[in-house]
Amino acid sequence: MYDKYMQLTWNDAIQFLRGIGVTLSITLISLIIGTIIGAILGLVRCSKNKVVSSLPLILIEPLRNSPLVVQLFLIFYGLPMVTRIILEPYPAAIITLSLNTAAFFAVLVHSSIKAVPEMQWQAGYALGHDLKSTFIYIIFRQSLRILVPQAITLYISQLQCSSLVALIGLMDLTKTGELITLRTMKPFTVLGIVFLLYYFISTPLAKLAQKLEKRVGFSY
Amino acid sequence: MYKLNFRFLSQYWGMLLEGVGRTFIIVVFSLIIGFVLGVLLALGRGSKTKILRGICTFIVDFLRNTPFLVQLFFFFYGLPQLGINTDPMITAIIALGINTSAPNCEVIRSGLLAVKKGYYECSAALGFTPFQTMIYVVLPISLRVAFKPLTSNFVNLVLTSAVAFYITVMELMGSAKTVTAHTSRPFEVYLVILVGYCAFTFLISFISKYIDKRISITL
Repeated sequence: MYDKYMQLTWNDAIQFLRGIGVTLSITLISLIIGTIIGAILGLVRCSKNKVVSSLPLILIEPLRNSPLVVQLFLIFYGLPMVTRIILEPYPAAIITLSLNTAAFFAVLVHSSIKAVPEMQWQAGYALGHDLKSTFIYIIFRQSLRILVPQAITLYISQLQCSSLVALIGLMDLTKTGELITLRTMKPFTVLGIVFLLYYFISTPLAKLAQKLEKRVGFSY
Repeated sequence: MYKLNFRFLSQYWGMLLEGVGRTFIIVVFSLIIGFVLGVLLALGRGSKTKILRGICTFIVDFLRNTPFLVQLFFFFYGLPQLGINTDPMITAIIALGINTSAPNCEVIRSGLLAVKKGYYECSAALGFTPFQTMIYVVLPISLRVAFKPLTSNFVNLVLTSAVAFYITVMELMGSAKTVTAHTSRPFEVYLVILVGYCAFTFLISFISKYIDKRISITL
């Protein structure tokens, strides 16, 4: 009697597509916001003033050293209690993921700018550039070479982390997979499909990062 | 205006401490599994047999490019289908161990690649078999090189272990959820948990820096 109920249907394919849409949209939006905030924080980290440069650490360190689930729950369940703003799961997920991305991205920006040798700054000044134009025309371009492959790796890992939004009830790819697993009782088939979907989304990115790393992987 | 109230701690600290203990057990066992599997995968990726190398590379890529939560579901819902009914805690340990073996493998492999050819030639000249060379010469050196990234993988493992609450393991996050349900003060509870995890990871990185200073070598 339950045979029909337990079968995989074409409707499930549509559900999976919806799940992919939610996963990708959350990941993309939060990566864009996170990259912008992270770049700003990373640039502040590079400041010569010791006090100013350590200010972003207040935000960065807790975000990097605590589980994303706890951050997600803190914002989704905790923040409405404190601020009286009721958050839907979707914006809560985006806020958390973008803050988390920002923290990791800021560290990447900071380390990649620091990786450019000090001599490049001096050379820029010697050629008559001021701080701003030295940074834009000399330092920034060189640091991009170090930053881009690492940033792509970070983006892939954030894509995997976005699966955690399933825990606050968003119907992303993971949650869809779980619900269909529970209905059909075919964990190997359904979760295999979910595995493959994630794999095919992130593998091209990983290959790109590997290729870029090989191309720019020489030292000064 | 909402006033923060941490009075629940006096009543529920035992529950949270139990959670810390379970998190500790999960982390330690999955660390061991992840380390052993990571070494095996790294050796497999460096082997001369093409098929073995391909399989190991595929496993590592697969583990790195799929979310941990789905892997956890795979074991949680998949193992009973195979007739293996275990404790959720063991499921979590297995899933975490397998998940963390992939980054461990990458790190150990880069350590293996850092060992120069001269070491192999030297130990061959001293009469070591390839197996002995691996065990007594190459692995110790490469593990020393890989120590620092391994500890950062360990920190990641601790952070990932918080997901295990979803399969009803009452570790730190799970007990935090229960305390939240009892006190209906989610903000404070999760804030405490966040600080706790931060303290734990800072402790790990502090200790690892100390050890790293003592064992690091330049090749």
